Amino acid sequence: MKYMIMLFGEAATWWETKSPEWLNEMHQFMMKTDQALRDSGEYVDGRALADGQTAKTVVIKDGTPVPTDGPFAESKESLVGFWIVDVDSEARAIEIASEVVAFTERPLEVRQVMSAPAEI
Amino acid sequence: MRTENPIEDLLRGLAPQVLGALVRRHGQFDLCEEAVQESMLAAALQWAEGGVPESPRSWLMTVASRRLVDGWRSENTRRRREETVAAMRMPGPGQVTDRDDTLTLLFLCCHPSLTTSSQLALTLRAVGGLTTAEIAKAFLVPETTMAQRISRAKQTIRRAGARFDLPPPSERAGRLRVVMQVLYLVFNEGYTTSSGADLLRADLTTEAIRLTRLLYQFVPDEGEVAGLLALMLLTDARRAARVDADGSIVPLAEQRRELWNRDQVEEGLALLAHTLGTAPIGPYQLQAAVAALHDEAPSAEETDWPQILALYDVLERVSPGPVVTLNRAVAVAMVHGPRAGLALLGTLDADERMAQTHRLEAVRGHLLELAGDPLGARQSYLRAATMTASILEQRYLTMRAAHLR
Repeated sequence: MKYMIMLFGEAATWWETKSPEWLNEMHQFMMKTDQALRDSGEYVDGRALADGQTAKTVVIKDGTPVPTDGPFAESKESLVGFWIVDVDSEARAIEIASEVVAFTERPLEVRQVMSAPAEI
Repeated sequence: MRTENPIEDLLRGLAPQVLGALVRRHGQFDLCEEAVQESMLAAALQWAEGGVPESPRSWLMTVASRRLVDGWRSENTRRRREETVAAMRMPGPGQVTDRDDTLTLLFLCCHPSLTTSSQLALTLRAVGGLTTAEIAKAFLVPETTMAQRISRAKQTIRRAGARFDLPPPSERAGRLRVVMQVLYLVFNEGYTTSSGADLLRADLTTEAIRLTRLLYQFVPDEGEVAGLLALMLLTDARRAARVDADGSIVPLAEQRRELWNRDQVEEGLALLAHTLGTAPIGPYQLQAAVAALHDEAPSAEETDWPQILALYDVLERVSPGPVVTLNRAVAVAMVHGPRAGLALLGTLDADERMAQTHRLEAVRGHLLELAGDPLGARQSYLRAATMTASILEQRYLTMRAAHLR
């Protein structure tokens, strides 16, 4: 089963408030977690997204698509990054997320990725 | 890419020669290209088992030609063949060398009708002899995506009616500029990856240097080609010092210079010494000269900044642009003080070409730090951090900011 583990929020508030030591530990922790998922054979994909402030949102205005500055959701609810893992159970996906949350003290959303028909 | 495998190195060197000869004989660049890839795969398997044949080149030619003929047997491709023969007429007989063929291939892969990403992919496959899987991995895209990109690139070339011939003299300089740009982009893609967590993808820089060296051997009198090769060597020489043990970026001034690759520095310096003054000056030679001054300095403090500033002054005249101004501002700061550099940076604030890049704010942060304004520097670093698409650069900028609190 594939699950997407998503981090929402604003990385910028970390940079502004946390100590260099904590930030460094956080980077190391994230890299270690990423490597552990690869080593265990559960890693499918993982990406960090550029800051939400750089996002453009395309909306429809009078029937015409128009690009606007900023993310779709409020900046503080914007997607920061994600992992997709292929695991045996939802419990395992939650276990992975819990390890990260224990460190970052920020919520993570765990949601199953729907399966698609096999390629013909 | 760098391999430990002599058979693969041999094959990759032969790939453009065999492809060139095949296209010259049959036209049909796209089909020949596939046939050569298949022959290389077959060779990699068979030579590893039974040893390298006496004439590896003829072996590949024979196998690739056979694949080509097999392909023609299907009705579908026969129809396609008629179209392609019309689209790409074969050049007349005459003295044709591997040099011409490889050059012609480079020009064809960097055809102006292609998008930049297609030029890169096609060059790496047809001239570099890399497999689609290897190229996909290097650019962090799925293999099917890369296969499609390469296949569409070949269709585009066919539709553009490109001939397997060297470009006419009137177009040569412009086309050579595109080839150099593509090779430099491959290098930069490896050296500062535009996305992802690995700052260095050494395999791409190594490949870019190999292909540029190949180009240089064929056109040794082109000063800018020599300049480009020197620039790559002199930049890549610092590779080992550029990230520390936990993968963090180390800025030039803080790098451990004993880790720099002296052989590469020497080769780059020799190229530059041979070229400067004998060929018309251009942006690659000038940038290489700047890189050389950094590489020659025994320590960051001993860097010859006045000379670097003089080079950027020339560069600004030869090829003006916001990135040159940005670099020149750093040199101005080192020679005339940070405030002078900041004043020059200010001229870029209204430049729309700088609006999408983090580099302006990153440099401003650095100069504000030098000017003794930690709070201003911090703000600039944080702004730069929200703008970059490189995880490692973001990490570097946020750490820099965090230390200034």
